[in-house]
Amino acid sequence: MIIFERAARRYGSRLALEALTLRVAPGEVVALVGPNGAGKSTTLRIAAGLVRPTEGRATIAGFDVQRDPAQARRRMGYLPQKLGVPLSTGLADLARLVASARGLRPAAGSAALAAAGLADRADASLAELSGGQRQRAMLALATLGDVAALLLDEPTISLDSDGAEEVRAAIALASGRGAAVLFASHHLHDVAVLADRVVVMVEGRVAAAGTLPELAASVGVSWTADAEDPPIERVYRRLVRGRVALVRGDAA
Amino acid sequence: MSAPALWRFETAGLARARSGLLFALVFATASVAVALVGLSAGGAVAVQGFARTSVSLLQLVLWLVPLFALIAGAVAGADCHDLEFIAALPVFRRHIVLARWAAWAVALGAALAAGLGAAGVAIGLLAGAADGVRYLALVGVSELLLCALLATGIAAGIAARTRARALGAAVALWLFFVVGVDLIAMGLLAVLPAAGGRWGLSLLLLADPVDCARALGLGLFQADVVAGPLGAALHQVLGGWGAALLAGGLVLWTVLPLALAARWFARRDL
Repeated sequence: MIIFERAARRYGSRLALEALTLRVAPGEVVALVGPNGAGKSTTLRIAAGLVRPTEGRATIAGFDVQRDPAQARRRMGYLPQKLGVPLSTGLADLARLVASARGLRPAAGSAALAAAGLADRADASLAELSGGQRQRAMLALATLGDVAALLLDEPTISLDSDGAEEVRAAIALASGRGAAVLFASHHLHDVAVLADRVVVMVEGRVAAAGTLPELAASVGVSWTADAEDPPIERVYRRLVRGRVALVRGDAA
Repeated sequence: MSAPALWRFETAGLARARSGLLFALVFATASVAVALVGLSAGGAVAVQGFARTSVSLLQLVLWLVPLFALIAGAVAGADCHDLEFIAALPVFRRHIVLARWAAWAVALGAALAAGLGAAGVAIGLLAGAADGVRYLALVGVSELLLCALLATGIAAGIAARTRARALGAAVALWLFFVVGVDLIAMGLLAVLPAAGGRWGLSLLLLADPVDCARALGLGLFQADVVAGPLGAALHQVLGGWGAALLAGGLVLWTVLPLALAARWFARRDL
């Protein structure tokens, strides 16, 4: 379970995130969408314990990420938008570190890489992997051990369609194992395929939240889940444009 | 448990990056060159041996080691901010800083030992083993200086956050330590009464790790004999306790910046 209780973050006078209250249940996949600067990454970083909220708090599996960071992180996997480790890092070295940090045997790291189809690339550095392999490896390591919450910042960015499909499958697998998944994405196709619920953010605030059919209904778009090309772009544009107009005071 | 795992991870990363090997090659080449030039000065190769050549090598140490250590430390410190994936693991952030410092200290320390070792072998072969133990102590002083300025560089890098600012800070610190503090000391010498300022100026050595190492290095080779009036004055004022004080100063210059760096990094948003 991932819980935000009125979590807010200000940088001086700039509001990065307005008091956010959100719950992601075990096995649920929630997507954060919105334009750049909407507060999606700040939300994920607060949950990952990398950014301190100026108000409120975030918990992972019941542990406050600021007050009890060791317990919270033991149950959490985080994949940042940028790699988050030097590109020259050896895959096997990283796998050993993650396994050791999570209190597992070093072999657990190698096994996770093998399960991700990367057994033969363990000696390579991250720089030597393709974008898809790299993201698959990082996701395999982020979900290593007893991970109850998975936080992903643009997990399919800069991947080709095959790579993105592999990553989507890995996310679905983690959620199937019972992990609460919160991810931010500009790729609305990923959102339509993966998300049980969607939180639309604009300028640090939640503009709308709900299932895709609920959000579509709120802006007068008919939603058919089994459509080959669900109208998520239209729903998104209407929600975000309406909210931007409201925030900037030019709704009329 | 996270600290040893992080140290192994950082060490493996350094081995892949080969930064330590580059430092070793540059330093070994420069050390051997200085040793050979020092040995052959005046055509009296056999006379000079470890003592006089070491004073020449000390100058190389005092210029190059701070530069390399500050730059390496500053970049390593700034790059800590890019370790989001690792910082989100169940590890203490302060351990990330300590592991990074320890891995760099071992890598650069080994490179320094290799460089000075190569020079030592050259001196020993050409001029005999007299004062060899003191030469080993000089290697120790160089290692202490390396550790101190690596820690200072890491603290500067963490404070600076970006590589560009960190490099700027490293060069500014290097100028301050290598030249700036001496200029301040010379200014104070001109202003203060001769007798009253002596102890104060000697303690000013502690404010600069490079001066700590310089005083220690000169003291090792009885600088009052080989290094003129500065060495003699240092020996007179500091006596036997001075060496312990200066070595303690270098240890403090390692511990305090590291503690600061670890604290800053632990409290910062990434």
